[in-house]
Amino acid sequence: MRMSIKPASVERRLCAGVFLAFLLGLLGLAPLPGGVAMAADKVQTELAGKPNNPGAELWRDVRQRDTQIKGVTQVEGMDAGVLININGERWRRFRMEQLIPAVGVALGGVLGLILLFHLVKRGVPIAAGLSGKYLHRFKEIDRLLHWTVALVFIFLALTGLILLTGRVILIPLLGPELFATLASASKEGHNLFGPLFLVGVIGLFIRFVSKNFLRKGDIGWLFKGGGFFAGKHPSAGFFNMGEKIWFWLVILVGLVVSATGLILEFPFFGQDRSLMELALVLHGVGAALLIAGSFGHIYVGTAGMPGSLSSMTTGYVDLNWARQHHNLWAEECESRDEVLSKSEFERSRGETPLGDRPEPLTRGDG
Amino acid sequence: MTAFVDGPLWNFALLVFLLGIVWRLFSIVKAGSKPDYSVARRSAGSGAVMTLFRRFLPRRDMAPKIRIHTVAGYMFHLGLFALLLFAAPHVLFLEQHLLGVGWTPMPYWAFIVASQLAFAGLLLLWLRRLLNPVTRLISDADDHIAAILVFVVMLTGCLALMEEFTGLRVLHRFTVELLMIYFPFSRLMHAFTFIPSRAFTGAWFGRRGVDA
Repeated sequence: MRMSIKPASVERRLCAGVFLAFLLGLLGLAPLPGGVAMAADKVQTELAGKPNNPGAELWRDVRQRDTQIKGVTQVEGMDAGVLININGERWRRFRMEQLIPAVGVALGGVLGLILLFHLVKRGVPIAAGLSGKYLHRFKEIDRLLHWTVALVFIFLALTGLILLTGRVILIPLLGPELFATLASASKEGHNLFGPLFLVGVIGLFIRFVSKNFLRKGDIGWLFKGGGFFAGKHPSAGFFNMGEKIWFWLVILVGLVVSATGLILEFPFFGQDRSLMELALVLHGVGAALLIAGSFGHIYVGTAGMPGSLSSMTTGYVDLNWARQHHNLWAEECESRDEVLSKSEFERSRGETPLGDRPEPLTRGDG
Repeated sequence: MTAFVDGPLWNFALLVFLLGIVWRLFSIVKAGSKPDYSVARRSAGSGAVMTLFRRFLPRRDMAPKIRIHTVAGYMFHLGLFALLLFAAPHVLFLEQHLLGVGWTPMPYWAFIVASQLAFAGLLLLWLRRLLNPVTRLISDADDHIAAILVFVVMLTGCLALMEEFTGLRVLHRFTVELLMIYFPFSRLMHAFTFIPSRAFTGAWFGRRGVDA
């Protein structure tokens, strides 16, 4: 017959033994009981050869807590009284193991989808071909604003991605020293150009908001996939629903990214570390969203939809392009007799062929 | 590389910059002008001074058409001169290596504001040069090279702001030296010629009683 020992009684006996040994040890009256002595020997064996760290206990006490403890110090600063930020490691792991891979997957995924679409569909060409007639679409100030924001955004995106993913991607390629230089330059550049992006976003809002409210037919455009995949191109006004979504994404997410960027760039307005960690997550996710969206925007504006780019370079678009993608706006322009012939367009651009120019006045012409 | 950029290349760039400017100004003076035998209707001197200051603002009938150009121009030039003359590393460099005297540099926040004004102004000016049909037609390679070179110099300077990495400082100095070598042979010379140019035009018209 086997004896069964209840766990509680084992624990009680062990505690009593250790307590007794502790008392005897303190009094120095008796040798340690065999079990405890063996444990002490084991610890000694394990520590042999390793430097003794007198701060280990203190370190454990400070770090392994559930709540942040704030001490008292003469150093001025929001988190100056916090010896160890217990959320730091958790935040670091989130950044390295979740945020960076998620951003990589999102950006890579969008690029992959665009590439797939282009390989399968070859973009959306002008079905009726170029008409040789033109409509004026964007004023000079709109194009200036667009390209200024675009250049600033590209610079911010590049420097931001270097800062976010450099440790994973660039250090193995460049080595730590060159990356440190690049990261320092990126940080300075990113901080410098960040506020310009905010000014640009506000400018875009002022210039384009009136044309970006929801109008009749916009939801239908969305359900038909904007005519990208099959069927007739759905009706659209000056801006279609895709452009409106991109506009509001740039404005709303751009403001979030800018606001969180300012929180991070100027850390002396009472923001604590947890707020800055949250700001960094929102900043990174928002920026990734904008970068992913910009891939689509750049594709549609160039190879994906031939004829689009000229609207932002010359300010003019081909009439057939307008009829196909923005038929309601094209009809309005045609009804107002705003269609330019090729020669009128070239004259407005200063591109008139040399033979068509009037001869310069010479002496005796009167 | 660092020793070359800080030493021989800097000396060469400084020499080309100074001699080039003197040569260009001397060429203009040497070219001279035809003697003016007309009877003076007004003072040429007052015309020169008036035109020198009047040209800081566009003509009233032109102003609405070039408002962005005017604003961006002031943003860029004021920002650039603030950076050039009052950024702390520049003041220190001028004191230690060129002039022997220094002055109070601007604070960090002012540096940020000045650099953002300069960058935004230069971007707007260069983009307008490309996007506006008239400015695009009258621009040539020199205009674009000068704009890009100045932009790169400002950018490398701002990227090196922390002064923690020698590589960034050397990169900035290298681009500055390229700019100094290019400067005398480009339209960037307007930094030195705009005063005599305005004064000459103003004097010529002033003598004839024309408000130019």
